[in-house]
Amino acid sequence: MDNLDYIESYFTDEPDPVRTREFENRIESDPAFAEQVAFYLSAFQVSGEAARIVKKEHFKEIYKKNHIAGPGPVRKLVYYMAAAAVVAGMVFGIYTYVKSVSPKQLADRYVNGHLQTLGVTMSGRSDNLQTGLRLYNEGRYEEALLQFEKIIRSDTSLFTAKEYAGIAALRLKEYNKALSYFEQLEIYNGLYANPALILQAVTLMERNQPGDAAKAKQLLKRIVDQDLEGKELAQEWLRKL
Amino acid sequence: MDSAGSFHYNDQEIIKQLRQSGIDKRRSEEQLFNRFAYFVREGMTKHALSEDESFDAYSDTILAALENIRNEHFEARASLKTYLYQIFHNKCVDLLRKRTTHKNSVHRPESISDRLMLLTDTARSVVQKMMDQADWNLLREKLDQLEDKCRQMLTYWGDNYSDKEIAALLRYKNADVVKTSRLRCLDRLRNLYKAK
Repeated sequence: MDNLDYIESYFTDEPDPVRTREFENRIESDPAFAEQVAFYLSAFQVSGEAARIVKKEHFKEIYKKNHIAGPGPVRKLVYYMAAAAVVAGMVFGIYTYVKSVSPKQLADRYVNGHLQTLGVTMSGRSDNLQTGLRLYNEGRYEEALLQFEKIIRSDTSLFTAKEYAGIAALRLKEYNKALSYFEQLEIYNGLYANPALILQAVTLMERNQPGDAAKAKQLLKRIVDQDLEGKELAQEWLRKL
Repeated sequence: MDSAGSFHYNDQEIIKQLRQSGIDKRRSEEQLFNRFAYFVREGMTKHALSEDESFDAYSDTILAALENIRNEHFEARASLKTYLYQIFHNKCVDLLRKRTTHKNSVHRPESISDRLMLLTDTARSVVQKMMDQADWNLLREKLDQLEDKCRQMLTYWGDNYSDKEIAALLRYKNADVVKTSRLRCLDRLRNLYKAK
């Protein structure tokens, strides 16, 4: 194990000419050491390959779930029906677009369109977060919320669990709880995609109490001004509100 | 549908997200996968592949692109769509060739590790020779025999996750604890592999 630590440092730390010479001399003169280096690199490659297989399985799940490829040529009729539905949808869309849209309606559409199901993690193994996601995707929001809260209790720093707990609370119309979780997300500045503000705005628009729409609007403006996660959506909503 | 963070991004934003570290990087991979998933249908119509074959070509395309984007081999001279379609097209042609020549799948991982390339020629050839003699199937089998946590940890490591990221994902106290545990798992894998 000591050698593994030493071998890993060689490949991951900043290069050092003296250490490099020493390391490579050892490979050339000590077959047992060279074998350990070969094992380390082989294990890394095999582990990478295992990760690729897990990812492919995960992609397959997503693909099946979304039915992206659609039916074969023998089922063209479905396409025609879908096309008819799209045209009908467009007519309805234009009709509803020209009508004014309330914040609550916008939020409802977002929740029903984007928060119907949540993406599962890669591992494919029984892990607490995944159990919560499964419960959520089955529409068992109360149980999902309990599961996410259990995870948060064991590790208060877990961003994803808080995000999902907030979303589950939102689905249960426990708006204050949802807001509390989404507010907690704001502290995770290091994440590239932090949906804290857009989710707070959605929650306020859903709650629809006096003053909520104005607060949501302020949040949307902040998202646009600071170029945060959900900027395009915030711009679109600001135009409609 | 995607989770809450799924909004529509342009190429640059997608690339930026894929290159950033963090425990949510899987979400950006899913976004990339979903964005061009209609290629699967094109593989079926333009290359007469079955849906499974076309899906394989597409998921391999995404995995190759992820690697190239992350190690900066993708220079964004073409749009992401053009770049991915080129890879996808080549994968489809490879599949068709394999189908006609009845080649068996190769079990050895295809790409030479970037880490191996860090060694100078002489040392690399010594190590490469030993790696060529490795029983890759056996090593994979032994990796599968490790307990869940160990296997997950090594899989994340093989996917270039940092110890800090692994700590967040597998709920370890910190990166140092992950490193110690990971090297112990690697040692265990080695013992299993040597015992045959």
